[in-house]
Amino acid sequence: MNDTKKKDELLDDDIPALDDRRVSVPLTPENARFYRSEGGLISLELTAEDGEREIFERVAVYRAFPVTSPDEFLSVREVSIIKNEHGQEIGMVRRLSDFDEPTQRLFLEELDRRYFTPEITKINSVKEKFGYSYWDCETTAGHIVFVLNNPFSNIRTLIDGKVFINDIDGNCFTVPDPSKLDASGYKKIEIYL
Amino acid sequence: MKLMYELSDADRTALESASGGEKLMYCVPYNIEGDRFVKGFLAITDRKLYKLLNGELLLSLPIAESDDFRVEVMYGSCGFYVRTGGVSRLVCRFISGRNLARYSVIIRACEILAEQHGTDPITNDLPERFCPKCGRPYVNNTTICPYCMDRMEVYRKMFAMTKGLRLMMCFPFIVAIFSVVFSFLVPWIEGQAVNEYLEPLSGTERGSMAGFILIVCAIVSIDLFQRALGVIQSRCSAVSGNRFIMMMKNILYEKLESLSLSSLQRRSTGDLMGRVNNDTAVMQDFVTNQLPNIFVQSVSFLVAMVVMLVINPVMCLFIFVPIPFSIFLIKKFWSTMDLKNRRGWNLENKVNRQLQDIFSGIRVVKSFGQEKREIERFRQSSLRSARQTEKNEMLFDTFFPIVTFAIRLGSYLILLYGNILLFDGEMQLGTLHQINAYANIVYSPLIWMTSVPRHISRFLTSASKVFEILEETPEVGDISLPIDIRIHGEINIKNVTFGYESYNPVLTNVSVRIHPGEMIGIVGHSGSGKTTLINLIMRLYDVNTGSIEIDGVNIKDISQEALRSQMGVVLQETFLFAGSIRDNIAYACPSATDEMIIEAAKTANAHDFIMDLPQGYDTVVGVSGYSLSGGERQRIAIARAIIHNPRILILDEATAALDTETEKLIQDALKKLIRNRTTLAIAHRLSTLRNADRLLVLDHGKVAEFGTHTELLERKGIYYKLVMAQQKMGAIPGGGEPEKAAAKTSSATA
Ligand SMILES: Nc1ncnc2c1ncn2[C@@H]1O[C@H](COP(=O)(O)OP(=O)(O)OP(=O)(O)O)[C@@H](O)[C@H]1O
Ligand SMILES: [Mg+2]
Repeated sequence: MNDTKKKDELLDDDIPALDDRRVSVPLTPENARFYRSEGGLISLELTAEDGEREIFERVAVYRAFPVTSPDEFLSVREVSIIKNEHGQEIGMVRRLSDFDEPTQRLFLEELDRRYFTPEITKINSVKEKFGYSYWDCETTAGHIVFVLNNPFSNIRTLIDGKVFINDIDGNCFTVPDPSKLDASGYKKIEIYL
Repeated sequence: MKLMYELSDADRTALESASGGEKLMYCVPYNIEGDRFVKGFLAITDRKLYKLLNGELLLSLPIAESDDFRVEVMYGSCGFYVRTGGVSRLVCRFISGRNLARYSVIIRACEILAEQHGTDPITNDLPERFCPKCGRPYVNNTTICPYCMDRMEVYRKMFAMTKGLRLMMCFPFIVAIFSVVFSFLVPWIEGQAVNEYLEPLSGTERGSMAGFILIVCAIVSIDLFQRALGVIQSRCSAVSGNRFIMMMKNILYEKLESLSLSSLQRRSTGDLMGRVNNDTAVMQDFVTNQLPNIFVQSVSFLVAMVVMLVINPVMCLFIFVPIPFSIFLIKKFWSTMDLKNRRGWNLENKVNRQLQDIFSGIRVVKSFGQEKREIERFRQSSLRSARQTEKNEMLFDTFFPIVTFAIRLGSYLILLYGNILLFDGEMQLGTLHQINAYANIVYSPLIWMTSVPRHISRFLTSASKVFEILEETPEVGDISLPIDIRIHGEINIKNVTFGYESYNPVLTNVSVRIHPGEMIGIVGHSGSGKTTLINLIMRLYDVNTGSIEIDGVNIKDISQEALRSQMGVVLQETFLFAGSIRDNIAYACPSATDEMIIEAAKTANAHDFIMDLPQGYDTVVGVSGYSLSGGERQRIAIARAIIHNPRILILDEATAALDTETEKLIQDALKKLIRNRTTLAIAHRLSTLRNADRLLVLDHGKVAEFGTHTELLERKGIYYKLVMAQQKMGAIPGGGEPEKAAAKTSSATA
């Protein structure tokens, strides 16, 4: 170890090993083939530049901009070895429309599961109890009753008027255009916009 | 948490026909299937996992062939994934709030089942996260369901809080009764005066002057008496109100300080400040002002009604005629106003938040030259807010007069009818005057009374928020008979698993034994759990499983005071309180003499720069004080720890913000300091840890390596790679450094 030369050798061998992170590559129809896995999730066959193939039994797909551009910049990730943690990024899909129809459908199915945001179609009632706000709504996913900690901070309006609601239980809802709700519903949500 | 839900008959039949003689171990709900909310169940037998929905079996998986059970927290829901025979599947999705913790138990259960067959179901004592009565979620990790909460309960608790102030608080009510009596007496006397003395003036007989003077005297003295009472009442409620609010604030603050870090961190500083300041103020206002007022107004309303009924029932009817209509109008008016006001208030808040945001980030704004854009943004939102306020005020200014007019309609009727009676000679002028005065007494509380429900609900909201905190049991609490020990310095961490959220472990199965007086260096990637481990040793949080012992005593049995007073910390984020440097250094040891303070500052290498400050040790630092650099703040924090003279010293990146030279100086000082005391030091710069006896390498919340510098180098594991990497980057100048440190280490252990 006192031998500097020997150490340099060691270093050159070892440094890459320290950083065993994979390099994220752009995923295109040329290098990536996505297909439905046996378990109904997404599998990936990745062809590296040197022609080497790698198969992922399951990959997870995340949106970089779930709100502003949901169908662009999709991060395709390994499933991490450690639970509760994101795996490493295999690559990014620049635009979902680059891929063929079945792949798009496959992606959208997975994304709809991962970003589960039912649309509120009707607000039946909003009640305030001891500072907490109780909502009874019809959504595209069915009837639901949910609670907001503080409607003024849990209801977020985007510049284009789209509204996002996060409740105590961890549900997310959206109202694409509040003015399209019926009059009484609009009046109930208007205060918080 | 419940792990064995009842299945519906259809589901049970489906399950039984599929599972046959297998033993049902767990049965838990899931909430989402496809794009719908559903009521499905996941049944787990000793062999298989069954997914049921409305009497249909959707999926079954053999547990023994499955090896990867995991929950992924997604946006808006969570997914339970299982890998069976190399194939991953999304088994089901559920709502995170109420089921995440349940599924984390299920994962453990599945893992146990996958390894061995037929064990008994595991149990857990996690609390449910929703109300068993109405199914709505509890709030803020309490077991309070605001939806089911009873108003009476809040009043009762409130009443219990007023102990010691009750007598004083009764006073306004007594005064109120007097003022009601007088407010009826005065119109009556006035009526007498008119009937007996003024009206006859126009007639033939004259009343006696003396009687008239008596009446005037009576009116004046009643007025004087009433005002005197008013003064006493105001003084009384000033005292009781202020004492009450002070008491509430103190109780609340004391409670907040006793709560564990985790429950405090769940809430924002703004929310906590709101509870200490605004909510207590609302409570005080209600108890000392609104409540007596409600009492007075309702009593005088009722009495006025009765009196009028006695004097002239027909007129009383006239008063009543417009009342239902006006109440309807007022209610409508207030509820509209209320909504509009809340919207205005929300917009105003947004403007304030934006201001606060910009001011705290002003350096960023300026350095990126974004002033123009920020001005525009601010203009936009303040415009929105101003428009809303404008609209609200215009609405109020238009409708309020209309509403008051509508309410007073009745008094015009009375006037009309009274005058008819007067002309017919069936009523005296004084009586009409009296009735008119009573009519006003009836009407004036009306407008005000309609806003009572709002006051009450505001009070209930604030009070319940305060009680919510007061009733929270501290998660990290002393046992009933905590032990005060003199800490020697042995730390024994046994199989510790911990997560800030129980379903997401940050540390898993950490076991380390630290000898007294030893210096342990903790290294690992950012986010590997170093700070967390230290938080546990300081008992800012309690471990989920396993235990931490100091000198053989579980830290849960040691009183927190004894524990903390013998530990000194220099944290990653140095925080200085508003106050002088002297106060900051002496924070944990207020009795320190000036010599000690200077000595400590010298050791921490802070003396020189402190002396350069305009007011030396008395320079005020903190939020509104003198701005110190990151490294300067750190050195003050080190001095603070030195003067505390702890048995266990904890340094979390204590020297990260220092240049190498200063660090070296402090290192040398610390070397003196760490002698004879257990020291835990976290550092990314490995050179900082050259004095460490042993090194603990954490990797993703697990102990990856633990041993002396030499041992770890020989292992060629993570630590070795880190050393090599830093050497290559030139962090440790000179090739022989690790060896030197190793030599030191071995001599220290010897
Ligand atoms: N108060 C908290 N609530 C929830 N999660 C937390 C909290 N504090 C830390 N974490 C998480 O716990 C993990 C470990 O954090 P920790 O602060 O112990 O890391 P660390 O090793 O000290 O990192 P660093 O070297 O960057 O200081 C991180 O993933 C972090 O996001
Ligand atoms: Mg840290």
